[in-house]
Amino acid sequence: MAWGTRLEMDQRERQARARTILSFFGLLLGVLVLRLFWLQVVQFDENYRLSEKNRMRMRTVVAERGSMYDRFGNVLVRNRASWQVMITRADMRDPEELKAKLVSLRDGEDRPVFDSALVAQTFEVSKWRNKYAMHRILEDASPEVVAFLSERASEFPGLSVEVESRREYVYGTLGTHAFGYIAPIDEKELERPEFEGYPKSARVGKKGLEASYERFLRGKDGVQHVEVDAFGRKLGLLKNMPQIPARPGNSLVLTLDLELQRAAEEAFPDTLRGAAVALDPRSGEILAMVSSPRLESNIFSLDSVSRKKGWQSVALDEARPLNNRAVVGVYPPGSTFKPFTALAGLKEGAITETNKPFQPCRGGFRFGKRVQHCWHLGGHGAMNVVDALRVSCNVFFYQLGLAIGMDPINEAAATFGLGNRTGVDLEYENPGALIDSVEYERRYRKRLGWRWSRGQILNLAIGQGELVTPLQMANAYGALVRGDTLWRPHLMRMVVSPEGRAILRYGRKMIRAIDMDEEFHRIVVKGLEEVTSAAGGTGHRAAVPGVRVAAKTGSAENPHGDKTHAWIAAAAPVEDASIAVAVVVENAGHGGGVAGPIAGAILRKHFELLKRRAEGNDARP
Amino acid sequence: MLDREFLERRIDPIFCLVAAALASVGILLVYSATKNEELALSQCLWFKQILYTFAGLLCALFIVLLPPRALYEASWPLYLVSLALLLYVAMGGGSVDDAKGAARWIKLPGFNLQPSEVAKVAYLLVLSRYLSGREVRLENLFRAGVGLATLSPLWRPLAGASGGRRAWMWEMGLVPLFCVPFLLVLKQPDLSTALVFMAMTLTMFFWAGLPLRELFLLVSPGLSLISSLNMAVWVVFIVALLAVLLRSRLQVWISVLILAANLLAGGMLGDAVWNSLEDHQRSRLQTFVDPTRDDRGAGYQVRQSFVAIGSGGLTGKGYLEGSQTNLDFLPEEHTDFIFGVLGEQFGFLGCTAVLGLFFMLVSRTLSVTTRAGNPFGNLVVVGSAAILGFHVAVNVAMTVGFMPVTGLPLPFISYGGTFMMTVMCLCGLIAHVRFHSHDA
Repeated sequence: MAWGTRLEMDQRERQARARTILSFFGLLLGVLVLRLFWLQVVQFDENYRLSEKNRMRMRTVVAERGSMYDRFGNVLVRNRASWQVMITRADMRDPEELKAKLVSLRDGEDRPVFDSALVAQTFEVSKWRNKYAMHRILEDASPEVVAFLSERASEFPGLSVEVESRREYVYGTLGTHAFGYIAPIDEKELERPEFEGYPKSARVGKKGLEASYERFLRGKDGVQHVEVDAFGRKLGLLKNMPQIPARPGNSLVLTLDLELQRAAEEAFPDTLRGAAVALDPRSGEILAMVSSPRLESNIFSLDSVSRKKGWQSVALDEARPLNNRAVVGVYPPGSTFKPFTALAGLKEGAITETNKPFQPCRGGFRFGKRVQHCWHLGGHGAMNVVDALRVSCNVFFYQLGLAIGMDPINEAAATFGLGNRTGVDLEYENPGALIDSVEYERRYRKRLGWRWSRGQILNLAIGQGELVTPLQMANAYGALVRGDTLWRPHLMRMVVSPEGRAILRYGRKMIRAIDMDEEFHRIVVKGLEEVTSAAGGTGHRAAVPGVRVAAKTGSAENPHGDKTHAWIAAAAPVEDASIAVAVVVENAGHGGGVAGPIAGAILRKHFELLKRRAEGNDARP
Repeated sequence: MLDREFLERRIDPIFCLVAAALASVGILLVYSATKNEELALSQCLWFKQILYTFAGLLCALFIVLLPPRALYEASWPLYLVSLALLLYVAMGGGSVDDAKGAARWIKLPGFNLQPSEVAKVAYLLVLSRYLSGREVRLENLFRAGVGLATLSPLWRPLAGASGGRRAWMWEMGLVPLFCVPFLLVLKQPDLSTALVFMAMTLTMFFWAGLPLRELFLLVSPGLSLISSLNMAVWVVFIVALLAVLLRSRLQVWISVLILAANLLAGGMLGDAVWNSLEDHQRSRLQTFVDPTRDDRGAGYQVRQSFVAIGSGGLTGKGYLEGSQTNLDFLPEEHTDFIFGVLGEQFGFLGCTAVLGLFFMLVSRTLSVTTRAGNPFGNLVVVGSAAILGFHVAVNVAMTVGFMPVTGLPLPFISYGGTFMMTVMCLCGLIAHVRFHSHDA
């Protein structure tokens, strides 16, 4: 009853239903036909204009990468405009004629403007691709070429000049090891999650701060819908279409001090290899960082031919200019290690400030069948620890090492961060190593005849065998002389948004608080101070008039050359250190002679700047 | 037996010609849309489309030649198989469509199976079988729904129900019959295919006796939801609804239920539905309301599409001449947006002609029903016409900017193997019914 009967309809009813369905469908189609009439007949002109030669184009607006500034706001890294000459097949009148014209163009010195092989290849490629796509035939064109082509745009239909933003390292090679460089993203990187959403044409930070802070420096690309004319030139933005402005990347304010950096660069001869680091031991802020040979980061922003040449020259250079020796280079610390041995000895009670418990130095020390020499073959005689630090007597430290063993020495060194990554905000930091019997066997068990023996202690106690980076050494000396805290060194001071708002500040990060007996601290620092101040001190070249400087030089023997690596590590002023410096110069001889003057120049500049800036502040009302 | 007169009665030459014409237009347009790609012949999409068309033709022929009652008998097994496939995909067994994050495919050697396409045909057959037994009335649908919702089959003695045990079973069965595949497809998520199920069901309900007035009441909550975007429109709608309700003289509780559903849909449900949408659906809706809004290019697609169509003018730019469609501007210019290619190259006349062909196709399809009284066969034909017509209307409405981008292809014309197969199967079903309409 409720459901009625079996579905039975007579023919008339079926026809009526079919007609109703068909009418409904017809009505829908009718509305669509009206809409089509509106679009195709009424609005035809507007739509035709937009579609003609396809004048609507979607363009990616590449976001400006953030800049880098020194701690006082001086710009160090920025972007410059770079002109690219492009061809668009769809806009050409006669491709063959255009090609011939381009190849025959010559500049003022009668050199071809375009590389004919590249032009021919690009024309060939453009034939098979989307004819509206732009292809580059000249990268980083000179202003003369741009001016010439822009004036005669109508003679070269299909040719256009696009502006691109390229990275510029304002002071050439200054600080480039810290900045790093950017280069086109490679296939492997594209697959990594942190590069999700990057276009294939993206340039990304490969090393240094450019890599560490990639996610801050990179902006967000925008999209423009533009209308172009028959020559492919942009006429204007399209109405009623989304226009997403590009958002520039954030800038970095660095801890570097441009003037101090410049002084360090000038003091470190380009002909020498090595590194110099200066930092503020009260916070870990790196004030200057030099690695030599220098790296010209600007080559990565040049056109592809120059870039390739430049890349080959740096990548194949056996001096490895790509390495930032301040954090990647590991060197035996040599005598700069002695304060840590001394500290361990004081702690273990093997020595005191004034006692002279060991055999006097007669230019060498007999251990078993061998005689280990002191650097001063004349001998230093009997001495206490302060004297031994001042004159850097090996024989004293041989005996001290033997007396206490490696464990307390390594513990003291590790407390100040030697042999460990500092955690600086740069990639590829090298940890270096402290050596004891276990580590020695692990490292050298494959070398025939290299077995641990107590004789190794002699070398290790004077810093021949450990591996440290210049950054570690600067940081360790800063903490040693201040005696309070070991901070994590860093280069980023803050991240600033395009609007100028600080969105991230690097709050100083403690690695560890230094727990050191006040008395031991005073004794070791006294020894280090005499290195620069006393007659016969090896570090007198690092002295600064009117400032108490604690320093230690070193000459690290190494298998890579006849001459030793020259070291110096220093911190000043002794009463309240505001700067710590470490300099290493590869295969240059004795620390005091080569590295000392470099550290001295940096220190003197630092205190000069301090004074000048203090006066400058006072002068202001 | 196979004399000419006999064949003429059984085969509709106009239907075949219209279908062939549409398929040819499709191949020509796919060629035009993809000719820029430098590929080997066997990789060319237009060539593949030809292969799909012929494969579909074989399928259609196979269906036509099936014995008269075969479809009726096969409907339930086919339906259960399609449900199993849908379930398999719903449980995460399918391959994920990268672009939209929806799992809709099962990868098989040689081809990809889309369970929702199988379900379209299977559901069509089983619903036809179901409805051929009884007439559909709104009251009965409501009673079935309420009965099922209150689990009345469990407590109400079946034999005591009015109309007897079989009628009760029937009543209850219709709701899950529709809801299970509908919800499974909706969950994929594939809103547009779910809407195809809806359109087919409503058309077949109408054929099976549901009066237009009651049909309106059935879909009224949906209309209320849409009209609630604008307050004034919604008020007018509710007034109209009240008028229809009063005239329909339904039982009071049903009228109240319908009114309540409408008020709910128009008022509170709006937000709930909005929140349940997928991101890409939401953005498409927003772009539809405001095309200048930026949204991963959804507005851009539609605008490119109707600039392409509009630039065709009255007669079009000529075959292979469109500048707009030669670009990669329409990411899916050979599938969902192929009507844009047609519009640019053949203009208003070309578009109207193709729409005319579709109208003829549906018209010739429905004409099958007037010839014979086989209720099952007629329902199959009406359902097929509904599927085809809905695809055409929605696809074209989308390309001219009348509807949000939904991703329903244009029958015969859009590139795609699975859908071509579905369309050809539907044609096979229609021809099958006609072929056997005089046997009984």
